[in-house]
Amino acid sequence: MQNKPLSFSVDIRLNQRRNLLNFDYSIVLTVFLLGLFGLAMIYSASGSFTLVLRQAMYFVLGAILMITAAMSNFRKMEPIYLNAVWIGFFFLVLVLILPNSGTTNRWINLGFIGFQPSELMRFLLPISAAAYLTRNPQIKLSDWIIVLVTTLVAFILVFLQPDFGTSAIVLLSGIMPIILSGLPWRFIIYSFLGGIGTLPFLWMSLMDYQKERIYTFISPEADALGSGWNIAQSKIAIGSGQFFGKGYMEGSQSQLDFIPESHTDFIFAVIVEEFGFLGALGLFLLYAFLIHRLLYVAKSSNSKFAKLVSATLSIILAAYITLNISMVVGIFPVVGMPLPFISQGGTALVVNMITIGIILSLRRTT
Amino acid sequence: MNNFSKERFKTGEEYSRALFFLSPFILLFSISLFQVLNLTLFQGDKYQTIAESNRIYQKPISPVRGFIYDRNGTLLAENIVQRDLYVTPAYIEDSAETILKLSNLLDVPYELLDENFSRGVKKVKKFDSFPLVKALNEEQIAKAKVNLDSISGIEVKATLKRYVLHEETLAHVLGYVGDISSGDIRRDKLLAELQNTQIGKTGIEKEFDYVLRGKPGIQTQERDVKGKLVRILDTEGAEDGKDIYLTIDQKLQEHLFKLFENRRGALVALEPKTGLVRALISSPSFNPNILNSIVDTDEVESLFSNKESPIFNRAISGQYPPASTLKPFVGLAAIENEVISWDKIIKDDGEFYVEGDPRPYRGWKENGHGRVDMRKAIAESSDVYFYTIAFDLTLAGIRPMLDSFGFGKKTGLTDFEANGLLPDKKWKLGYIGDFWFKGDTINLGIGQGYILATPLQLAMAYSGLANKGVIYQPQFIQPENEKSFEPKKIAEIQLSDNKAWEKMEQALVDVISARNGTAHKVYDANSVVIAGKTGTAQIKSILPGKEYDAIRENPALRDHALFVGYGPVEDPKLVVAVIIENGESGSEVAAPIVKSAINFFTGGFDAE
Repeated sequence: MQNKPLSFSVDIRLNQRRNLLNFDYSIVLTVFLLGLFGLAMIYSASGSFTLVLRQAMYFVLGAILMITAAMSNFRKMEPIYLNAVWIGFFFLVLVLILPNSGTTNRWINLGFIGFQPSELMRFLLPISAAAYLTRNPQIKLSDWIIVLVTTLVAFILVFLQPDFGTSAIVLLSGIMPIILSGLPWRFIIYSFLGGIGTLPFLWMSLMDYQKERIYTFISPEADALGSGWNIAQSKIAIGSGQFFGKGYMEGSQSQLDFIPESHTDFIFAVIVEEFGFLGALGLFLLYAFLIHRLLYVAKSSNSKFAKLVSATLSIILAAYITLNISMVVGIFPVVGMPLPFISQGGTALVVNMITIGIILSLRRTT
Repeated sequence: MNNFSKERFKTGEEYSRALFFLSPFILLFSISLFQVLNLTLFQGDKYQTIAESNRIYQKPISPVRGFIYDRNGTLLAENIVQRDLYVTPAYIEDSAETILKLSNLLDVPYELLDENFSRGVKKVKKFDSFPLVKALNEEQIAKAKVNLDSISGIEVKATLKRYVLHEETLAHVLGYVGDISSGDIRRDKLLAELQNTQIGKTGIEKEFDYVLRGKPGIQTQERDVKGKLVRILDTEGAEDGKDIYLTIDQKLQEHLFKLFENRRGALVALEPKTGLVRALISSPSFNPNILNSIVDTDEVESLFSNKESPIFNRAISGQYPPASTLKPFVGLAAIENEVISWDKIIKDDGEFYVEGDPRPYRGWKENGHGRVDMRKAIAESSDVYFYTIAFDLTLAGIRPMLDSFGFGKKTGLTDFEANGLLPDKKWKLGYIGDFWFKGDTINLGIGQGYILATPLQLAMAYSGLANKGVIYQPQFIQPENEKSFEPKKIAEIQLSDNKAWEKMEQALVDVISARNGTAHKVYDANSVVIAGKTGTAQIKSILPGKEYDAIRENPALRDHALFVGYGPVEDPKLVVAVIIENGESGSEVAAPIVKSAINFFTGGFDAE
């Protein structure tokens, strides 16, 4: 088959300055709200001003990149998007090769800052996949297979770090574009059943601590001072927040360090302890609103690429939010996942903000 | 290949598919929200309570133990600061390495530390600490101060420990304190909250623990997940223990303790007119400080395994045959029951026979004392005289008198005294499994056989003689005002002839004063006049054909020497009972101590 011009780079000329700034400000506002709230909660949870300052620097960097991405013309970015995945692979391999500290290979240290290549991958992979799948008007089976193979390789690389939670997200981020781009349902169902078939093998390849997390989830009270401790303390924090919460910086569970990883994965527990059910409800509404607005881009865009990218990234974001919260409230196993825009952690924050920026840029195609 | 283009995939289905794959997350999201609702609103109170108990720690504050003084305000027991090395296992990474470091630093054997550590670790909760080395000396404290910062989980803590000033002198009266055991907690649930508090284990320390101990306070602390103190929320101060003033006269006690020269024996000295105990000795003694703060467990073990039983309080728990010291009471019983009169003479040729029994009951003096009346029988301690009247009295005639003088009963001085033993027919049948024979009554007449009395009981019984029948409740607690103190009568013995008291007293005075008295050796014209009675308690009955000289080869089988007496007779100030185990002669070893006690106490001549 002959190469045709990419479907999305054909027609529209975007050169008006007015158009550059034409994006959904409610999304930007929501993201800023969440980010600033996150900074406040990190301070309450950690009591460390240095930590807040560092996170604030990432927040500023993220904001700049978000606005830049939002103003960019995604149609001109096509070659970059198509090949972005190689950057991800480069770092994923690098992180496995480099000597590591501790038991996991998750971080690349650039001296003054460190970042997690897996976080990068779960964002680059769907963009490249979408770009690849939509480079021709018609999608061939081989396109899907290539994307699938690429996704599996990325998944395995992250899984080897080992990082079970993020590897699942990476898998999802590669598979979603395939599914959304029109893979026949029967293939989807077959793959799903096949996936279930591999579960025993997956279980066997899990590290002991990962298996333990799943055991713990099944019966957290069985080991109240061991692995179940985290979930138990988190639930105590949430429950004791009651309706109005104990007040900012007043949560005994978080202030006295009963909540583990309170400024990262378990920050939601701190929020509910200090702001109660009311605070939790507010946060839920913000997230729901954000996902709703992001999906609107997928719905309203007339570009298939834009639809695939915005839908996939929205789903990934929703997955992060949901899995983190359901883990913290004790209805899902403990998987190390940060709460988007709020948990302390630079890579995730910057990546999430760029994600928003790209979706914002896609929206302008409507 | 192009089959796929035939799939009916419409533009816009991306969005509906996205919604489809988003739905599980939307579901999970909704369940999460419901779970938050459940935790915060439906179970909020429960989790609020758990969160509170997570952060709140109620730390008991130990009260300061009350001091103990003697009647004159001489300090007997106080508290001193002891610095112990405490270890918190949770903060120690490598226990073996830490122990090795400490062993070198403090010059304590590694094995000892290791043993203390493994024993202590089992007892405490994760973030609690326990003492690893007790009672650090000056050098160890100095070394510890300089070096401890480099060893995590180790700290020097100062605690108050009981300290007895006069060490062995008053050990059995004061007793000792110790850590609260699980047994203590079982008996008294309130003790469970008293960490790091010592409670009385024996003696005054135990008997009046409720006074000395005080009331613990509670500090409500907020602690973090590591058990580290964050802030103090509330402090309810401890109520310190109250001081106790004892009836003991420490100068007298010390003086008499020296006279024992570590021989096995006991002494009880009390005021007959008040029951106030002025001296109480059990010898050999021990240093209570060894037990008040157990530093060296070997030392403690040897204390408890010592064959001379220094911990045992012979004065109140030691039960001895009263021997001849019982004779005045048997004599009074005989007079009261009219089996004999004061002047009736009995011929004592050294042996007494019961009809139909060829075995003789021998007196202590070969060939006997000749013709004896009651006065002479007491002064010379004629056995045959008392065999005779005891035989005539029968058990039923002797027992009530002995019972009214308190034999076989606790005096009520402490909870820990022994009962002694005043035998009767039922007792013998039950415990010996045999009937009461006439011979048993005859032996009882001279205070031998089954009867047992504690030195305290003897002193009490003689206080009844001194008071002409009245016996007062003995006590250790000094009344605030001795002059206005009204002692509690516990017995008032009425004799049909009131002169009998004086007559018996005269006989008892003869024991020392009369030329033929058994304790005339201690007679001294300068001494106050003392009424008393010697006693020689047989441990092993002399079998026919065996002489005492053969028995005494074994020092442990030698007779116990007793003397009980009071004085001055015109106004008795002190009654003293002394027993020296295997001391053989009451007049030689026990009587001098009694005499010395009475003279020392009355401020008069001191014999020794």
